[in-house]
Amino acid sequence: MSSNLLIPLIIGVPWLGALIILLDKDRHEKLQHSLAVIISLAAAAAAVLLIPQTSKEVAFSVKMGSAFGNFSFVADGLGVFLTLIATIIGSLAVIFSVNYMHGEEGLGRYYAYVLFFIGAMSGLVLTSNMLLIFFFWEITALCSYGLISFHNDDPKAVRGGIKALIITSVGGVGLLAGALLLFVYTQSYDLNVFLSNPSVLPAKMLAFLGFMFLVAAAAKSAQFPFQTWLPDAMEAPSPISALIHAATMVNAGVYLLARFFPAFAGIPYWKEAVMAVGVLSAFLAAIMALFSNDLKRVLAYSTVSQLGYMFYAIGTGDVFSSQFHLFSHSIFKALLFLGAGAVIHCVGTRDMTKMGGVGKKMPYVQWMFIIGALALAGIPVLNGFWSKELILEAGAATDVKVLYWIMVFVAGLTALYTCRMVWMVFFGEPRSDYHAHRAGAAMKIALAPLAAGALVSWLSIDWFSKLLNSGSLPFHTLKALDLTEMFHEVFTLQTLIPLAVIAVGILCWFFRAKLAGITKLFGWLRYLADHSFGFEGINTGIVKATQNCAEGLRVTQTGILGLNILAVLCTIIILFSLFAIGV
Amino acid sequence: MDINFLIKSMLFLPLVASPIVYLLGRSSVRKGTFLGMSFAKMFTVLIILLEGCLTYFTAKDWIGTSSSIYTNIGTVLIGFDGVSCLMSLIVVILGFCVTLFSFPYMQDEDGEEKFYALLLALIGSIVGLGISQDLFNLWVWFEVMAISTYFLVAFYHEQPASLEAGFKYLTQSAVGSALALFGIAVLFSQTGTVYLPSFLGAFTALDPMLYIGGILIIVGFGVKAALVPLHTWLPDAHSQAPSGISAMLSGIVIEAGLVAMLRIVIVLNEVTHIWGLILLVLGCVNILIGNLMALRQTEVKRLLAYSSIAQVGYMLVGFGVTLYIGFTTGITGAAGGYFHMFTHALMKGLAFLAAGALLYVLHLAKGNHSPLVLDDLNGASKKYPAVALMFSVALLGLGGLPPMAGFMSKWQILVGVAQGQTAWLIAVVIFVGLNSILSLAYYAPIINRMYRHEQSEVVTAGEAVSSWMITPMVVLTIGILLLGVWPSLISKITVPAANIFLSPFGF
Repeated sequence: MSSNLLIPLIIGVPWLGALIILLDKDRHEKLQHSLAVIISLAAAAAAVLLIPQTSKEVAFSVKMGSAFGNFSFVADGLGVFLTLIATIIGSLAVIFSVNYMHGEEGLGRYYAYVLFFIGAMSGLVLTSNMLLIFFFWEITALCSYGLISFHNDDPKAVRGGIKALIITSVGGVGLLAGALLLFVYTQSYDLNVFLSNPSVLPAKMLAFLGFMFLVAAAAKSAQFPFQTWLPDAMEAPSPISALIHAATMVNAGVYLLARFFPAFAGIPYWKEAVMAVGVLSAFLAAIMALFSNDLKRVLAYSTVSQLGYMFYAIGTGDVFSSQFHLFSHSIFKALLFLGAGAVIHCVGTRDMTKMGGVGKKMPYVQWMFIIGALALAGIPVLNGFWSKELILEAGAATDVKVLYWIMVFVAGLTALYTCRMVWMVFFGEPRSDYHAHRAGAAMKIALAPLAAGALVSWLSIDWFSKLLNSGSLPFHTLKALDLTEMFHEVFTLQTLIPLAVIAVGILCWFFRAKLAGITKLFGWLRYLADHSFGFEGINTGIVKATQNCAEGLRVTQTGILGLNILAVLCTIIILFSLFAIGV
Repeated sequence: MDINFLIKSMLFLPLVASPIVYLLGRSSVRKGTFLGMSFAKMFTVLIILLEGCLTYFTAKDWIGTSSSIYTNIGTVLIGFDGVSCLMSLIVVILGFCVTLFSFPYMQDEDGEEKFYALLLALIGSIVGLGISQDLFNLWVWFEVMAISTYFLVAFYHEQPASLEAGFKYLTQSAVGSALALFGIAVLFSQTGTVYLPSFLGAFTALDPMLYIGGILIIVGFGVKAALVPLHTWLPDAHSQAPSGISAMLSGIVIEAGLVAMLRIVIVLNEVTHIWGLILLVLGCVNILIGNLMALRQTEVKRLLAYSSIAQVGYMLVGFGVTLYIGFTTGITGAAGGYFHMFTHALMKGLAFLAAGALLYVLHLAKGNHSPLVLDDLNGASKKYPAVALMFSVALLGLGGLPPMAGFMSKWQILVGVAQGQTAWLIAVVIFVGLNSILSLAYYAPIINRMYRHEQSEVVTAGEAVSSWMITPMVVLTIGILLLGVWPSLISKITVPAANIFLSPFGF
């Protein structure tokens, strides 16, 4: 099958499926589950079939007139790679949902949003039209909102959904402004036209564009200073946290920067800004993860932190390692979220202080989760180790060594909070009277491939490099590696430093009783971490200010007819005066 | 068919049918049977469909000619151009949907026959406004439109709130019309003619009469178009009117005021581009004020009314930017403004029809005239899944989210603004974008309320929704989703309409 058929299928089949499931109006639950699974697997199959079709040629294009450009799609390496992640992890999340969402009301709405999202995410990475990038960007935000606030009766969920929608959309304005500028200066919506000649924009405009896109990417990927929406998004059902808020949508920011890197790399201080955003996010989020007692929130902070690594990698100039870490992270983070979902579903709480000893009741889930945790902590030989090391190698090669050392320290923090999380949930004695039943078959089936991936996905680096370096990305110079080259890169003395720091992190957990004195000293840090380092305060402040403004304006609607007409006459007088002064 | 005949029929058909519908319906009331009323209703639908056919045949000949078709009724010049086509298209689609919707909604209401008669008169007057080519007739059709709506807004004449809203609307609108007439008089005094083509070259940039006339025109027609701070009649009128009329008011009546203003301002703009700047700034004010006021509303229809004020702001920004700098950057802003006019009619029409459907089944069907509040919507989706879904589509579209049409029309407007390439215009782009997000802050919670499990008491006690209400809503939904993924469908009409901005009368 050729790509001009496959791409419409990858986007269209999930969208059609969403419509069909909605129209069922929740009458046949089994049908909805089966249909969703079949459709998401079909999309994944189409994505796999797309691999040999990777090329830089436009695969599919529809003319839409001058204001909208050509709706064109290109199946290049970056796009195909992310489509594979979106559809395959999407299918696994849907399979997991068969058990997780069993008997839930509004299942049609759930699957409709999920399938709509999968199609939109694929569209986002496969299109070369700036308008469509923004189009699909906003659709993913819409689906994210709909799924976070899926349980509409829970005010926390509704607040979380609207918060996510607003914060990511505010960032989206950056993408909007940038896309419009691009069109105005290049007279084309095709991003490849821009990438082939970035200097068509005057230097100031190019810098503005680069930083606007950074804002959009940071908001979408929950990076500093927009990180507050992701933890609150954990109100979503766990398969959604796995799919949208770990594996796919939050990676859209990283994708945007990776895609436009050739054009922005030359902007003064742009790469430094990206690195700073990445490092700050990684560091602050790791601290917040360390102090949190909510299992999903720990994973959310962890996602922010790992995305920080990806941003950092792009900032150092190594787009390849950022994408490779994206690959590893999608797998192990989805694994962790689905595993957490299984635990929460079966135990009935998200509070880790009430867990403990779950491993005895749910051994399968425990081992799956531990595999994911090892990958997250960067323990050899799981996939997280290789990709994190590549990023740190790239970081060590830059001039700004301070940032490198902070990232190494964060690797240690990661190991520490990961240990804490695994221990609090699965080991020790139960700290409350919970009743845990075993995970269902669908959950187990969904976890297995992800665990296998976490163990061996790094072996596919040859194929991964070929995909990205196949000539389908003519403007990117990617430092792609094959397996032996990766060994060369990673097996150096430099690697021992992060490994040592990780070991220290793990040891800190096991010797925590001895370190209790030091932990008490950091009580003020716990306070800061719980309040998201003041950013939550900023959010609340903005919301309150807007509401107060709106409330204050209400006096203008007096309801007195005489005053209304006075306003009409005053307008005339004001406009006359303006003209009299001006003219 | 002879195109002149088609255009004249398009104008006179609804106007002639209006009294016939009234008489048919009246006979029903006098005789105490339902037959006459049913005939009247069917006849109304037929006339609107016929009007649609006439519009289609006229447009078929006109599309692709990229100019206007002029003809005469006596000595009065009328012309069919892009704007006329767009107005007729919107009014036919909305009129059809509103009529079907109103069959159960207005059933057994006191004065039902007057409703359909006035609706047809409204449709006819808007068509007339679209094809007027001189100042006087423009004003006449504007007045006929206003008069039709006065009675429609105050339709529930037993309810004090409706009467109050109608009276305020009448008075404020009359002030606006008077000011507009003064403006026309001032312009006439300088040129000696009411024919718009003759205005080209009649003024110089230093002529004070130009500015006096222009300001009076903008403020006069601006009252109807709900420019801030002339908008204060709108929340009352749109929320108290029967829901079908709210849809018409927000969807096409306030836009007709805008179109009338533009017909004149476009010609004045040939002398000095300051008019574009005024509209651009006023547009931004509309967007901000409309959004902030809607944020605190608890009554659903009032919230939608304030939302209309904001949406008119988007159109003004599009038109304003083309008037201000269009000669260097092209007509994208104005084309976007007209596109937004169309999508807003669909989306706001759908929103009001959906809110109206819920208002009817939860309150009106039981004879309760209390307004629909946000708390009433809790859990409505289980009992009214279609209405809830379509209402959500409308609200998300109004908030500018894809894949609804509102996203594409806002995009086109912003392309027009960005083409200015100055820093403050980029700031306007960011301002409009942020306001779009602000609007989501009041649209999204409505959707969340509808999809709760826990139903409000009124929902549990609510009646079933009639398919007369569902069908027009489905039509509008399909339109919104179609344009959302295929925005160039309407370009054949919006682009010629926008071309008038830069070359009125084709020379």
